[in-house]
Amino acid sequence: MSSQSIRIRMTYAKLGNLRFVGHLDLQRVFERALRRTNLPLRYTQGFSPHMRVNLASALPLGFVGQAEQMDFWLDQDIPLNEISSRLLTSLPAELILKDLQMIDNKLPSLQASLLSSEYEILLPAEIDRQALKDQINTLLDQDTLPVQRRKKTVDLKNLILEWQLPSDSPETLLKLSMKSSPLENGRPDEFLELLGIDPADCLVTRTKLFFEEE
Amino acid sequence: MQTINLNQLEKILYHVEKPGRYVGGEHNQILKDWDHIRTHVCLVFPDIYDIGQPNLGLAILYDILNQQPDILAERAFAPWHDLEAQLRENKIPLFSLESKHPLAQFDVIGLSLPYESLYTNALNVLDLAGIPLLASERGSEHPLIIAGGQACFNPEPMADFIDVFLIGEGEEVTLEVIRAFEQLKKAGADRKAILQGLSKIPGVYIPSLYEIHYAQDGIITSLMPSEPWVPDTVTKRIVSQLPPHPTRLIVPNIETVHDRLSIEIMRGCTRGCRFCHAGIVNRPVRERPVSEILQIIEDGLASTGYEEIGLLSLSSSDHTQILELTKAVYEKLHDRKVSVSLPSLRIASFSVELMDELRDIRPGGGFTLAPEAASPRMQAIINKPLDDEVFEETVRTVFEHGWLSLKLYYMIGLPGETMEDVQAILDAGKRVQAIGRQIRGNRVRVHLSVGNFIPKPHTPFQWYPLNSTDELQAKLDLLKTGLHRTGIKLSYNIPDNTLLEAWLSRGDRRFGQVILRAWKLGAKFDAWGENTNMPLWRQAFTEIGLDPDFYAYRERGLDEVLPWDHIHTGVTKVFLKRDLEWSKLGKTRKDCREQCYACGILDAFGKERPVSPLVYWGCP
Repeated sequence: MSSQSIRIRMTYAKLGNLRFVGHLDLQRVFERALRRTNLPLRYTQGFSPHMRVNLASALPLGFVGQAEQMDFWLDQDIPLNEISSRLLTSLPAELILKDLQMIDNKLPSLQASLLSSEYEILLPAEIDRQALKDQINTLLDQDTLPVQRRKKTVDLKNLILEWQLPSDSPETLLKLSMKSSPLENGRPDEFLELLGIDPADCLVTRTKLFFEEE
Repeated sequence: MQTINLNQLEKILYHVEKPGRYVGGEHNQILKDWDHIRTHVCLVFPDIYDIGQPNLGLAILYDILNQQPDILAERAFAPWHDLEAQLRENKIPLFSLESKHPLAQFDVIGLSLPYESLYTNALNVLDLAGIPLLASERGSEHPLIIAGGQACFNPEPMADFIDVFLIGEGEEVTLEVIRAFEQLKKAGADRKAILQGLSKIPGVYIPSLYEIHYAQDGIITSLMPSEPWVPDTVTKRIVSQLPPHPTRLIVPNIETVHDRLSIEIMRGCTRGCRFCHAGIVNRPVRERPVSEILQIIEDGLASTGYEEIGLLSLSSSDHTQILELTKAVYEKLHDRKVSVSLPSLRIASFSVELMDELRDIRPGGGFTLAPEAASPRMQAIINKPLDDEVFEETVRTVFEHGWLSLKLYYMIGLPGETMEDVQAILDAGKRVQAIGRQIRGNRVRVHLSVGNFIPKPHTPFQWYPLNSTDELQAKLDLLKTGLHRTGIKLSYNIPDNTLLEAWLSRGDRRFGQVILRAWKLGAKFDAWGENTNMPLWRQAFTEIGLDPDFYAYRERGLDEVLPWDHIHTGVTKVFLKRDLEWSKLGKTRKDCREQCYACGILDAFGKERPVSPLVYWGCP
């Protein structure tokens, strides 16, 4: 085993049926897909070695991810196009490879440097754009927006960075940017519930992840 | 043909636990173009995905059927309570994972019934699919309901609900039945004519073509085909040689039981334990050669990416090339971060040596042995003799070779068992613990896993009654009390669950009404251990007017017509009776590779035995 490991950052989409696969399960799905590539994968040292993979952020069940990210490590330098062509046949059909990059090993982990996420929420057709806009403004005028998460209370207001209801879209679309750091993670479904909208009636897509600049 | 409303489904999936169970989309799933396929088959395992998906039988049939360009096979499982409630509330029929078509739109439903406690779930699945439960109420507009699996060696309890039973190994007969069904349908045959046509295929049992008469006391007086050209008995099907193993296995997206690459290395067992259903119904022994197993491992790992392999059989140390196999497997895998489990090992130091061959690639955890009985008398009765010295030597080897934990399987409730025989289990556990402590000190863990014996159809013990719940409880109490504060772990089955399983496996055709009634009263997931359904089952017996004790607690006469007598496993009733007699005399049999006891298998299947010496059959 070479001492130097190669760190690969993969951007992928998680769609269709795979939306209903949770975070821990997804990790295993990736590990097996990577094993199928037969690439020289990097494992942790020690008594029970496991594959080094690192997913940026858990995507709630039911959400589409358009630009999710994960890192994995190789023992040897393999051309990116070779990695890419092996991944194409190894990934389940609804996990779609978008981009691959070799990145510096010294960079902090994806989780540690994740700042925020951008969402596009396709709302039920019967929702009136203007009424919703007023409703959101009124809601955000409040000093705090406490929501209950298991045993603790989280202030959602503090987690919402930006929002808009683009008028040029044919469907009722809510664009939302929320904090996504390990300590402060905004959940768009909680915001929808505050607005009296059942998240199950919407299609939520995470369109982008924002990381700390190195 | 229309799929179910996918938008509605997605909304529902938002509100259920582990929605990944219901959507498919796994690597190696096969999704064909519905509209360009002639025959649509839905393979149904009537338990939740987590339990059913790893079933190897399901994978084999999925592979065989989908290899046919004009057939598609999809999958469905029982929904958990939460999704079932949503489906019923929203009037969504049960659907297949792959294309999400309602089950009722398939041409054929293939129900997998490997064990009896799935029966109420099977009814629930048909009901959720909107398909009439009774075969007599179904017509040409409904899918043909085919069932197969080890429980179907006594098909009678489910006879009212199933159109076609496939008895025995399904690899060849399944496709034969589907092809014949296509032909008959094309020729314009109605339901009855289709069933009559299918009854001509060996291994096919059409329950509606048989009539059963009972005496006043409930015992069967005759069990005969209603038409002269229907066979009196249906002999199971076997494959003369283990067919190619599927390697493009579906890799589940969510966690399941046995989440690994399972490879069948051998079918059948030559040991002849008298309680063992699998040991009778899976005869003869057929082995897969080492070279083939190695190729399956190679191809299977490449196509699945699994990190664990299970080498499966009823008695792995009996594979004639098992040592070569373990050595070769180690060579192949030791630097590939794949672990290999090798369950079902015989009690011998040799088994420990086999596990040593797998050194650092076997999964962590304990060693497992299955003496089943502890006293020499019981061991002779069940034909699983075990020399005390061999047992202790094996146990010693296990601890000396590094294991700290040993699990021992035993059975209680066996024929002729006394409290002394149960006490012997207790003593054996303590002896094992003492040996372990001598070698490895107090870190040693001993675990006794005690099952309750059920007299299963087609075994030499099929005539015996089940131990009463009180008897079983007294035996369990003896074990619990005796193990108190010893540090030995005990796990056991609830006697009521055993009773339910006994009814289900020993029932006759009339008992089907009890199953239907129990299901209507709310019984389902009977395999899920908490025996909360028991009051429903008792109520069902009362309402139908059948006596539960008739099925479980009655010693059956040797000349009685048993409900499963028309199903022939290849092993004759004459042999079973003789073996029962030997058991009563405490006479044991050797491994039947050493000596043929004329069980009947060679009479039934000798013609199918391959001439090539490369194809191994266990029969002399």
